[in-house]
Amino acid sequence: MIFALILGFALLLIGIYGMLSQKNLIKIVIGFSIVDTGVHIIIVSIGYLRNRTAPILNSVVDLGKAAQQVVDPIPSVLVLTAIVIGLAVTALMLTFVVELYKKRNSLSIDDYQELKW
Amino acid sequence: MIKKIIVILAMIGLIMMLFPLVTNFEFLENLNDLSTNYVSGSVNELNSQNVVTSVIVTYRGLDTLGEVTVLFLATAAIGFLLKKKKTKKRGSSELLQTASSFLVALIILLGVYIFTHGHLTPGGGFQGGVIIATAFLLLILSDVNIKFNHTILQVVESFSGAFYVVIGLIGLVLTIGFLNAKIIPLGEYGNLFSAGAIPIIYSLIGLKVGSELTNILDTMRGE
Amino acid sequence: MVNPIYIIILSLLAGFLLSIFDKGGRKLSLTVFYSVLTFNVFVIADWFYRFAILGVSTLTINTAGFSAPLSINLQLGMLESFVLLFANLAGLLSAIYLIKKFKESKISSLILYLILIMGVNGLVMTRDLFNMFVFLEILSISTFALTILTKNKKSLSAGFKYMIAGGVASTFFLLGVIFVYYFSGNLNLEFISSNDFTNYGLIGVFLLAIGIFIELKPFPANGWALDVYESVNSGIVAIIAVVNSAAIIFVLYKILPLLPTVYLSVFTGMGIVTYIFSNLVGIRQSNPKRLLGYSSVAQMGLLAASLFYTTKLGVSQNISFLIAGGIFINHFIAKALLFWIAGIVKKNNIKDWSVLRNNIPLLILFGISLLALSGLPPFPGFWAKWEMVKVFVGSKYYIGLSAILVGSLLEAFYLFRWFGYTTKNKLNKETMEQVQFSQIFPIIVFVLILFFTSFWIMTNVYSLNYFNYLPLVAIFGMFLISFLRSKVKAIISIAAVVLYGYFLFPLGMSIQLLFGIIFIIGSGIVIISTINRKNTGKGFYGFLLMMIFGMGNLIIAESFLAFFINWEFMTIAAYLLILRGKRAKIPAIVFITFSLAGAYFILAGFGYMPNIANNGAIINTIGTIKIPLMAMILMIIGFLVKSASFGAHIWIPGAYAEAEDDVTPFFSSMFSKTGIFGIILLAISFIKQTPDFDLFYWLGWLGAISAIVGAFLATFQEDVKKLMAYSSMSQLGYIIVSISLLSHLGWISGLYLTLNHFMFKAMIFIAIAGVIYRTGTRQMYKMGGLIKKMPLSFITVLIGIIAISGVPPLSGFGSKWLLYNSLIEKGWFLQAGVFFFASAVSFLYLYRMIHSIFLGQMKYEHQNIKESPIWYLIPQVIFIIGIMAISMYPNLIIQPLNTIVGNYFNSSIVIDGYNVTSSLGYWNGNMVMYVTMGVFAVPLILLLLINGRTQTVKQFNIVYAAERPESPQTTHFAHNMFSHYYKALGGLTKPRIQSFWNYVSEGTNSLAGLFRQIYSGNGQTYILHIILYIVAIYFIMGV
Repeated sequence: MIFALILGFALLLIGIYGMLSQKNLIKIVIGFSIVDTGVHIIIVSIGYLRNRTAPILNSVVDLGKAAQQVVDPIPSVLVLTAIVIGLAVTALMLTFVVELYKKRNSLSIDDYQELKW
Repeated sequence: MIKKIIVILAMIGLIMMLFPLVTNFEFLENLNDLSTNYVSGSVNELNSQNVVTSVIVTYRGLDTLGEVTVLFLATAAIGFLLKKKKTKKRGSSELLQTASSFLVALIILLGVYIFTHGHLTPGGGFQGGVIIATAFLLLILSDVNIKFNHTILQVVESFSGAFYVVIGLIGLVLTIGFLNAKIIPLGEYGNLFSAGAIPIIYSLIGLKVGSELTNILDTMRGE
Repeated sequence: MVNPIYIIILSLLAGFLLSIFDKGGRKLSLTVFYSVLTFNVFVIADWFYRFAILGVSTLTINTAGFSAPLSINLQLGMLESFVLLFANLAGLLSAIYLIKKFKESKISSLILYLILIMGVNGLVMTRDLFNMFVFLEILSISTFALTILTKNKKSLSAGFKYMIAGGVASTFFLLGVIFVYYFSGNLNLEFISSNDFTNYGLIGVFLLAIGIFIELKPFPANGWALDVYESVNSGIVAIIAVVNSAAIIFVLYKILPLLPTVYLSVFTGMGIVTYIFSNLVGIRQSNPKRLLGYSSVAQMGLLAASLFYTTKLGVSQNISFLIAGGIFINHFIAKALLFWIAGIVKKNNIKDWSVLRNNIPLLILFGISLLALSGLPPFPGFWAKWEMVKVFVGSKYYIGLSAILVGSLLEAFYLFRWFGYTTKNKLNKETMEQVQFSQIFPIIVFVLILFFTSFWIMTNVYSLNYFNYLPLVAIFGMFLISFLRSKVKAIISIAAVVLYGYFLFPLGMSIQLLFGIIFIIGSGIVIISTINRKNTGKGFYGFLLMMIFGMGNLIIAESFLAFFINWEFMTIAAYLLILRGKRAKIPAIVFITFSLAGAYFILAGFGYMPNIANNGAIINTIGTIKIPLMAMILMIIGFLVKSASFGAHIWIPGAYAEAEDDVTPFFSSMFSKTGIFGIILLAISFIKQTPDFDLFYWLGWLGAISAIVGAFLATFQEDVKKLMAYSSMSQLGYIIVSISLLSHLGWISGLYLTLNHFMFKAMIFIAIAGVIYRTGTRQMYKMGGLIKKMPLSFITVLIGIIAISGVPPLSGFGSKWLLYNSLIEKGWFLQAGVFFFASAVSFLYLYRMIHSIFLGQMKYEHQNIKESPIWYLIPQVIFIIGIMAISMYPNLIIQPLNTIVGNYFNSSIVIDGYNVTSSLGYWNGNMVMYVTMGVFAVPLILLLLINGRTQTVKQFNIVYAAERPESPQTTHFAHNMFSHYYKALGGLTKPRIQSFWNYVSEGTNSLAGLFRQIYSGNGQTYILHIILYIVAIYFIMGV
């Protein structure tokens, strides 16, 4: 599953590149969301152990040797929280974009630089 | 142009920085002590099949409470920012509306199933809540003029959150610790009524997430 | 004793239910809201009391019925409760400040605010890395949303930039958390050790640290933060600037143990870079909130740097707490205060802040906040800086030390400039809005806490001697009685000065006594002239007493710290006094900039000082230690600034001229002597210990140059006060050279000159004050012929200039005689030549002054002018008597000086009756007096005898037939009096030094202008900055 890790980093980099190169506010938010997704994939792939099953101890798993049969549950826990937080941040960002658009009718980040120096 | 070059340089730097993390990466052979403890604890101490759920709701319960708070904050923030507009738009076809309202009940049922069985099967409060919210999304998509009862949404949202905190508080009052799931009997392993307060907490979370996301969707649709 | 987790529980419960409560009316929800915030403060205050006073051990709170590392645990100890106490208090106060807004706004704003404060509590208490991330996000999201509490285009776009930047930073933090977990197998800080990270595992730690570090807004990756500071509602910005920063810096503190040494070094450097560059860019800023933003960012950099550096060195806990805690509290309180005040004033340009003068109490609070933020005593930032300098010098981190001092100077510059604009800019007709009580209440509470903390540090940490509090007591005391009439206050001040001298001054023959006479008795006499004021405005006597006590305390200070505090007290008071002048805006800022620069040199010098026995005044114990050469040089530079030596003299003409006329005597005759006192202090150690390098030889040359340049500059002035200011510079050059001789005769002449200069400058300046009071001008060509109208003032000035110029028979002759003797004795012939020349030049300006003012033709408009008021004349007469006495009987003063200097050198003169005999000859002051009187008496009698044959033409007994010339002053003899000399010598007086300093200030300005170009205002560029910053730091660290 090293591919998942590579995919995660690739998404992270693509997202950052998107945030740096796209002028459209919504595209920047999308870039951020891609970064987020990349990080989530990295988190999940870090918890992976070869040839093991999900940490759900039903009949598939031998309860006595459970620790030898399941993957690391902690990254799954963390990613769940991270996803929800990412969702909240993205939603808030989009709300800001909506409001900005209402104020100035423009989605280009270059139009919002009156504060400077 | 210069900016583009700088951006590319930055990206190259970033790649060089993160590269060792990928190339030197090796998957661990065994669970570390912490996860091993979680796996055995989930069975022995909490009677919960789903290790992830037991970690989320009890061991790292404070995180989860925080997570719920974050979502709640986002709802509040979006509500704070956006004003609801009341523009009447042309409604969609009767057919679509009827079909979707038929589906809604099923979707909600699925959501409820997912959050009540969070300690047994993959899934849980967040997943269930999101599924419930998709039911309302379907309603919104099928009928742009639909109005939700905000008082109910708000009451569900507020009280499910408050009850979650109160359940945590019970543990504190019983001096076994904040957010302890053992405030009620643990039940029998693998049953719906097992794992102490975990299913209750997850149900509350499910309700809260569902109502919050619905609220967010409803607020944003006005734009 | 309430479990602190109830803070989180209650805030969350209330937060979840607030929208339900709001259905029962805003009153209900507001009540819940404020009760929860108050509850938080009380819980934490209770715990803080337990930890700090009762010494309870650190509290660990487990959750979910498991202990760490299984479950997340919270920890509350001394430090946590300290930070949280301030955070919760600021949260409550800012909420009170915003009450009007909260009444009108949607209920969501209350929820967001409440949960923001809860997030801070959680973030500080939690020991789990991922939980930190969650609380960080809670904090961030609520802050993002609150940025638009006042919704407009600016705050929206600033909020968006903030979100993107914060999002990127926390993504890196999250990435760090997950890799730290991967390498260590734990998320709880207690169970992670820095040994868990193999070579490339450090990247994980790096990502963690940089994520947090970006949240601290390091330069230059902080454009987004500045936009937020500028555009967001003041009450919220106060929270962002202090509470959020406090929580984030605490997170940084928590992860410090994981960082390897090389990270600590680099981050220290980055913190310092942030401090100096943010302050540099700040000097170009005119928007008050953005200015405060730059200052906040800078302070956070300083705080982070101090944390990293003390951790790296392993400095003892007490010291590092004093440094980091001091900077923390200082910034916390001062910044919150200033943002709140900015929210009340509502002016978007610091030049328009003059409107604050409509509300004097608020102006005072504003001034206090600025002083605190500049790191001046007695506020906590000062002590932090003091300890920090010692640590930096101790570890030989000179670059960091100089950067911090330069940064402090830049910060002080823009803060004092702001104060100058506020107090001096034209006040338009506009009035301020009525200030709500809810807005002023938080400010008052914080100011009280500020003073309490300062007082606590002074008494409990440093246990300073009681007299060091007197300058502060003076200003408070005078503030309390400011309702009294001005004359009463003057008399109280004189009484206070007399009592101070009586109780505190050792009366033995020592240098202390001599300077005591100058600073204390001299001040007492000069204050008499201020009785003339009809109305002194508030604070005048407070500032005056603060300055006098500060000067007096220098003489009896028992430690370097006490010396330096009083030095700063005196400087602050002097600044405030100068600022009272009508056109003193520019001179005051020049004065404070130079003075603080000098003070920082002295501070750095003290950092190098070895420990000194705490055994009586340092002037008596300094001989026991050997001062390192570096300390000597730094401190001499600092002292020379105060005595306005060549190179640092450009502050004097403005400050002397624009200070109120009856205040200038204090500056010229006493304040400038503090520099001399400092130099003597160093010289005592220098002569008792064998020096490595003859520093004082070069100092002597500097004195000589000051003397000649000062004299030249004085010659070509039209403004009488500027003329006398340059004269002071010149005269102090004489004193410096004679002290630098480091010989018995040299010191006698030096101290004699000091005493002499004190008397004649005081009386001339008072006389001039009287003249200006009557004529209303300082330009000499607008005066003339005043001898008939103001004979007493004329006599004072005449005696004064005779004393200055050193012609017989007055005391100046004796001092010159001693000076030349000592120079020749030492073999400094060239310097003696320079002084001879300088003395000749001084005749020019003295003649010009007395002639232009008192002789020649009287101006028509001065026909009905009267003599100076009686209150100006009394001190003049006292000083005349003093000068006449020591001129007549020089032994009155030579004898004691011989004894005093005898403590340091073997006597080289013989005093026999009225004769003073040196190796080169003898001087009989008494006889000189009689001879000169005889020489004067003969022509006088002759003139009187032939007087009958002259006919007096009354001045205005003529008819003007011609038309008035276009610019009448050019026809006046006194205007441009020495133009012929100017042709020959003017080249020497070209303001080279002035242009040098202009160049420095313009250079700094354009540098600031250059650097602030990076803040393009484009959110995308800001993200690029962050990414580049991360990559750059990564490669600098070479992980």
